[in-house]
Amino acid sequence: MQSKASSFRARTFFITGAVFLGIVLLAFVMSLICSPYDPNATSAREILLPPSGAHLFGTDNFGRDVFSRILDASKYTIFISIAGVAIALFLGVLSGLPAGYFGGFPDRVIMLFNNSIMCFPGILLALVAVAVFGPSMFNVVWALGLVFAPTFARVCRAGAMELKTRDFIMHAKVMRVKPVRIMYSHILPNLMPQLLPATVIGLANMTLFESGMSYLGLGVQPPDASFGKMLADCKAYVLTAPWLVIFPSLMLIFYILGLYFLSEGIRVSYSGRSDS
Amino acid sequence: MPRHTHIVKVHHLSLAFPTRHDPNPEPVLKDIDFGIRDGEILGLIGNSGSGKTMTAMAIAGLLPEGAVITEGSIKFAGEDLTAMKPRRRRQMLGSNIGVIFQEPSTALDPLMKIGTNLDEILLTHGMKDKAERRKRVLEMLGTCGFADPEEIYSRYPHQLSGGQRQRVLIAGAALLEPRLLICDEPTSSLDTVTTIQILNLLKEICHKMHMTVLFISHDLSAVRNFCDRVMVMRGGEIVDRDTTQEMLLHPRSGYTAELLTNARLDTRMLGLERATVDYSASPVLVARDITARYDNSSSNVLKGASLEIYPREMLGLIGSSGCGKTTLVKTLLGLMPHGGSITCSDKQTGAVFQDPVSCLNPAHTIEWHLLEPLRAAGIKLTKEERRKRVASALQDVGMSPEYLSRKPRQLSGGQRQRIAIAMSLILEPSLIVADEPFSSLDSSSASEILKLLTDINRERGTSFLLITHNIHIVRQICPRVIVMDKGSVCEEGLTSEVLSDPKSDAARKLLHAESVLHGENYSE
Amino acid sequence: MSLNTRQNLKYAGLKFIELIATLFVVSFLTFAAFSIIPGDTAQIMLGPNASPEQVARLRTELGLDQPLPVRYITWVAGAFTGNLGDSSSFKVPVISLIAQRLPVTLGMSILALIMVIAVSYPLSVFSARRPGRIGDTICSILGHVLFAIPPFVLSLLLIVLASGVLHIFTMGKYAPPEKGFGNYIASLALPAFAIALPKIAMTFKFMRSAIIEQNASEYVKTERSHGLSEARIFLRHVLPNSNVSSITIITLVLSDILGGSLIVEQVFNLPGLGRLLLTAIDRRDFPLMSGMIFYLALITVILYFVSDILASIADPRIRLK
Repeated sequence: MQSKASSFRARTFFITGAVFLGIVLLAFVMSLICSPYDPNATSAREILLPPSGAHLFGTDNFGRDVFSRILDASKYTIFISIAGVAIALFLGVLSGLPAGYFGGFPDRVIMLFNNSIMCFPGILLALVAVAVFGPSMFNVVWALGLVFAPTFARVCRAGAMELKTRDFIMHAKVMRVKPVRIMYSHILPNLMPQLLPATVIGLANMTLFESGMSYLGLGVQPPDASFGKMLADCKAYVLTAPWLVIFPSLMLIFYILGLYFLSEGIRVSYSGRSDS
Repeated sequence: MPRHTHIVKVHHLSLAFPTRHDPNPEPVLKDIDFGIRDGEILGLIGNSGSGKTMTAMAIAGLLPEGAVITEGSIKFAGEDLTAMKPRRRRQMLGSNIGVIFQEPSTALDPLMKIGTNLDEILLTHGMKDKAERRKRVLEMLGTCGFADPEEIYSRYPHQLSGGQRQRVLIAGAALLEPRLLICDEPTSSLDTVTTIQILNLLKEICHKMHMTVLFISHDLSAVRNFCDRVMVMRGGEIVDRDTTQEMLLHPRSGYTAELLTNARLDTRMLGLERATVDYSASPVLVARDITARYDNSSSNVLKGASLEIYPREMLGLIGSSGCGKTTLVKTLLGLMPHGGSITCSDKQTGAVFQDPVSCLNPAHTIEWHLLEPLRAAGIKLTKEERRKRVASALQDVGMSPEYLSRKPRQLSGGQRQRIAIAMSLILEPSLIVADEPFSSLDSSSASEILKLLTDINRERGTSFLLITHNIHIVRQICPRVIVMDKGSVCEEGLTSEVLSDPKSDAARKLLHAESVLHGENYSE
Repeated sequence: MSLNTRQNLKYAGLKFIELIATLFVVSFLTFAAFSIIPGDTAQIMLGPNASPEQVARLRTELGLDQPLPVRYITWVAGAFTGNLGDSSSFKVPVISLIAQRLPVTLGMSILALIMVIAVSYPLSVFSARRPGRIGDTICSILGHVLFAIPPFVLSLLLIVLASGVLHIFTMGKYAPPEKGFGNYIASLALPAFAIALPKIAMTFKFMRSAIIEQNASEYVKTERSHGLSEARIFLRHVLPNSNVSSITIITLVLSDILGGSLIVEQVFNLPGLGRLLLTAIDRRDFPLMSGMIFYLALITVILYFVSDILASIADPRIRLK
């Protein structure tokens, strides 16, 4: 009876999340096959036009079609978040599992580095990396990957520490299964209930960071479109051309909110399963 | 026989969990009707899900959210509890009705010192004077067997052992001398020797404070020498009730008889037959002067333990908790660094652990589990050979091939334990170490696993090292036994000799606990 | 009693050693990041049009001609004595630039933290008392939505609302604390609110589940069986136990606020550390950049240390780990 309620809750989260994410994914697909205008083509005659049949979301102060730019921006947003999380996940699993499984000295050294990285608040570390190595999408991706790695390392470490005392891991040791196989084949699959929602949340947080950096002009570089940069550029027209703010903000929020709901759905459905 | 006065009268009680979708679900308790006599100790027996805890919580007024009493009433000393206002009901708790729960490790607020926690009970029930409260708490801690109550008063729960915590909980429940004490499986998570101490304590304070006790347990042996009367529950109904003696000697219901048989683990009835051992053969495992310690402690847990296991032998290993049994198992299986020497005739030793919940990897299928030992041993097989080997391993432990694609959570505890055994068997080891393989199983699954182990021993000639707290099992199936105490082997010999005439203190203590718990005639 | 005190001191000592080790790694990472810049640092700082003499002079000025270990030791020693050299673009000591901008960022962060605690605490208590009810559902959904709005978008919205529609706020008008404390707070209230809102959502979500989890624990059942009232159980047992985990989340939030303020300052045109850092990045002022980053990390390291100690005081079990 309890699991019925929780599966209903999980389904609600999944459906809402899918709707929000679907909008952004649709934009992503459209940017690849049928963008109505060139997202970077300026036109002096079509500056700051309000939404109309010709320009669905209006035009900006350079006369660029906002709809086309939003499609383009969603492409970069999705790419950066997935690539960044992939790097973070790779580094996190690679360092967190051995730290938790072996404990002792290796654990202390690995966690010292992880904690040190976590001590640079927020986007500071990524900003430094970009400042030092120059602003480019590639630098943003690996810098954010590095910043997010400790989060995943912590999840893996805590999971490995808890699981290694279980009987099935002891059994694997008795059978002389090699440590690497124990970590990646015996322990890792069991961390999915924690790792999967953390990955989805990571995508959302990655997007928050990337859009913030783009807002500061240190993320995606012009002329490529990004939600953060679009919002930074339109600051002067907030009241006169609100469509410049509304549409990019909504897309950004849809993507992040969709991911939050998705992760919440995963979490609830996993916890519902363990109840029964 | 004089008519007894009832302190609690449960009158045709039914209880259910109605929801919006299902307003009339199958009741959890069905027409329960019984009384608890003033001053008696009433046992309530049943497997999990039988409704015994729900019955007790209904009396205590601590039902989980969503539970609704659909019919009947509960009277406490003439007052109807079901019709009582919540405030009055709460006042009854602690002062008139005390409750003790099963899991002492989580039943105390971890952030509160023992003294503060107990003090709060007195404060809640209107004792204003601080010095008087402190005096009363210390007195009660003393009564509950603490030699230094002052010391315990300022301790945190995590600084106490399981038995000590359970005594603190008893002190809390009995602090205001309630007329009724409800004990919900108070000894289930404790070892035999501690169980005896707790039961003795309960008996003593009940007598001293004239308390009536409702004692809930899934274990028939725990009530045997403790309760005056016993009730058996199954599926939300009371199926049997009688005085303890009558119940154990002449069970009226078939279900009670079944419970009794399973609890006894009667070898003749189960048809257990082990292999015959040749003690002149060279041993499969010899361990000499094993020492071991944990990282964070300075003293050794194992202080020079030695043993040998012969081919086809079933060697029993007994000892109270903390004697180093589990550590010895870990060293023998190569899971811990140790001093001394271990020589084993076979590269591969099988292992079966206690907990059927965590013995299998929840993320993988049964087939994966059975293939993993082959992969780890580097045995390369064709697809066809693999399939055959896995199927036969499953058959060896009495399970059909349909289970291959299932995940562990779709299996019962006994079935999981079988898979763990199959994983050991698939490499055909000459020795299997079994660490308390039955203690977490219900009695019928336990007897099936026991039978499986003896069958393997007889048919394949596999040696077993059987670690158990159940001396009764050792007596029935192990020809030789080792007794451990404080990290070393304190006694060793033929089971019949060691158990009839124990030489060491530790063995004597274990035997005494067993006889108190299970009664004299239990072994016959 | 003395046992508990001894454990306390031992734990604090271990944590202090950890603090020193972390500081070492943090300082090393900061230093390393600015030492592995591809190409000639002095050339990058001065731009492609600088003459070779200018580059050589700056190299000596920055000590770039000395070996790396010597430079590291000089730099760390300087960092801990407050002497990080001069900013290459402002030509004044780095430390005085930071001191000048600190009131903005610090005031805003503290204000935001107060808002987070003042709003999320009562809300989570209210929500967790009756999970699944209508009030709880509304709070939870609102929390999700707020959590998903990037701080700079929220800032833009608030600016439009407060200065465009309601006319209660003037953009970029910062009043230093010397000119009246009230004005100082008023000029920082809106940006602080923009930072706080998503963090309120985060803290609420975390605290709510912590309280629900504690409510379901075994000891609550024991306390009920002792006849304690629900209010007393909540105040004396559930709340203190939930607080242990709330110390962790508040620390996390505070460190996030420090990092997040960099962007929000930019949106609100406030002359805080964020602006200073962006200027430094823009002008390739490496001494200023490394100094600011090290000090911000230093604050966070100390923050985590304090939080660990507080948690160990709140929960005696932590000391034993």
